[in-house]
Amino acid sequence: MSAMIEIKNVTKEFKVLNRREGLKGSLKDLFSRNYKIVRAVDQISMTVEQGEIVGYLGPNGAGKSTTIKMMTGVLEPTSGEILVGGNVPYRDRTKNAQEIGVVFGQRTQLWWALPLIESFKILKDIYRISDADYDEMLKLYQSLVDIEPLLHKPVRQMSLGQRTLSDILAAFLHNPKIVFLDEPTIGLDVSMKAKIRTLIHALNEKKHTTVILTTHDMGDVDALCRRIVIIDKGKMLYDNDVEHLKRFFGSYRTLKLRIAGDLSERAEAVAKLLPECTVSADDEWISVLVDEEKCKVMHVLTQLQQSFRIRDMQLEEISTEDVIKKIYEEGVK
Amino acid sequence: MKHNSLRFYLRIYRKILAQDLKSKMSYRADFIISTIGMICTNIAGFVGFWILFRNFPSISGWNYYQMLFLYGFSLISLTPVQCLFDNNWSLRMNVYSGDFIKYCFRPINLFFYYQSEVFDVKGLGQLAFGIGTLVYAWVHLGIAVTPLVILKTVIFLMTASLIMIALQNAAAATCFWIQNSFYVMDLVFKFKSYANYPITIFGRFFRFLFTFVMPIAFIAYYPSLVILQPDNVPVLTWISPLVGCLFFWLSYKYWMYGAMKYSGTGS
Repeated sequence: MSAMIEIKNVTKEFKVLNRREGLKGSLKDLFSRNYKIVRAVDQISMTVEQGEIVGYLGPNGAGKSTTIKMMTGVLEPTSGEILVGGNVPYRDRTKNAQEIGVVFGQRTQLWWALPLIESFKILKDIYRISDADYDEMLKLYQSLVDIEPLLHKPVRQMSLGQRTLSDILAAFLHNPKIVFLDEPTIGLDVSMKAKIRTLIHALNEKKHTTVILTTHDMGDVDALCRRIVIIDKGKMLYDNDVEHLKRFFGSYRTLKLRIAGDLSERAEAVAKLLPECTVSADDEWISVLVDEEKCKVMHVLTQLQQSFRIRDMQLEEISTEDVIKKIYEEGVK
Repeated sequence: MKHNSLRFYLRIYRKILAQDLKSKMSYRADFIISTIGMICTNIAGFVGFWILFRNFPSISGWNYYQMLFLYGFSLISLTPVQCLFDNNWSLRMNVYSGDFIKYCFRPINLFFYYQSEVFDVKGLGQLAFGIGTLVYAWVHLGIAVTPLVILKTVIFLMTASLIMIALQNAAAATCFWIQNSFYVMDLVFKFKSYANYPITIFGRFFRFLFTFVMPIAFIAYYPSLVILQPDNVPVLTWISPLVGCLFFWLSYKYWMYGAMKYSGTGS
């Protein structure tokens, strides 16, 4: 295994105009410009091995797109080093472009008016794909998805799902070492999402392509990524496998209860009884967040049964989404 | 095949062009209507011209056929910018919406890749009109057809095209810096129509402007002089092919500089 992406202490700063409020402020802005430096990406380091699928997560505006743009060579880092497949992306932009594939969510990179197969043929020329490789790739595509109905349809007439699928196929066509997928499943229905996940998974497996995936959809992460990297406000919060993350927070479980009587009143009573747990209530359930390292769920349940008449209960494991939400909110200690 | 060779790019351009034409022709109504529109635009241009000369026998010493020569010359020299560089008009929208970033990921020249996306067929009609006009005027003026004259015509047509392309590239690339670059494009587009007139009808200020700042006098006036009044050509005209190349190269550099500076809107 060899490192496909190496990022060392990368920082990207933007100069942004400090806008003043109101018409008067705008007038002032015209004459004296007051800039501030915004650090979109702050001292990020990571190494990605060949064949990995890395989930790159973070809330909106966290710096995900900026990092991707630096790795694809569109932006130059302010400081730090980036190597993608052995190239410095910004300096060897064309060379780097030959070895990566990029899909940017809802922006298709295909020729709008052309049927997919014609786009493929032009890409074949642009990336100088040999006839043998091209045919092999098409055969692989045919074995993975029902590509026939797409091939002769102009991109403009495709549904969003078909277009995303086509864009992904186009990004993998020249068998790049690394593919960047920026929110590939955004706005798609459940079955299309599943189709796209299966496709990405299969291509990664067959071609050992390294995939960097940014997404807000935990389904994508659970289906595809073994490792995730979380950033927020430009800083790296977490870089490890998904299991580790779950174990890290996995001692938390949520016990949901239905108790006879007024729920909010009961919730207060429950909270008094269980000072070590967090208790909240909505219209239907009283939720008790239990930290299993402090007390066992079974113990809590017995305790509650002695004081209340429990009509119904549910036990929920904490989901990856909750974990990440928790990290966004509190950070990893 | 080398990645940056001319053959490589020509091959890609030919492919994109063929596909583009094929898909355009599949919209019959659109194709027919835009062709009719193009014919009407050109006829309207002629009618204006004709009315002008019904009232004035000559403009600044230029007679009807000489003016037609000028007109035909400018129609032809504006064809390449119309056909090949029409996507410049959409650059502003692409940059504003952030879609421009999609052009940055291909291992080929960004400027080429962007411009190759659109080929405007309407320009070909303009070319046909231009050639018709030029030949008509040529015959009536009784200019001798020698290889040298033909060579001069071709070279100066190319020069004129390069200058127009350069102006449009530069105007379009302003969108990398300013929000409403449409006005810049529109300004250049409008000034271009002055190229149909002999520069001597303008005052000193505009003569200077159209020669040195926004060199539209090179689109038709100076080159036409070379054919029509070879004894009366300013020295500057003879170096204009070089100036054309230089202008084009500068505009290309400026365009690319803007594109590289561009970082895309966040998504």
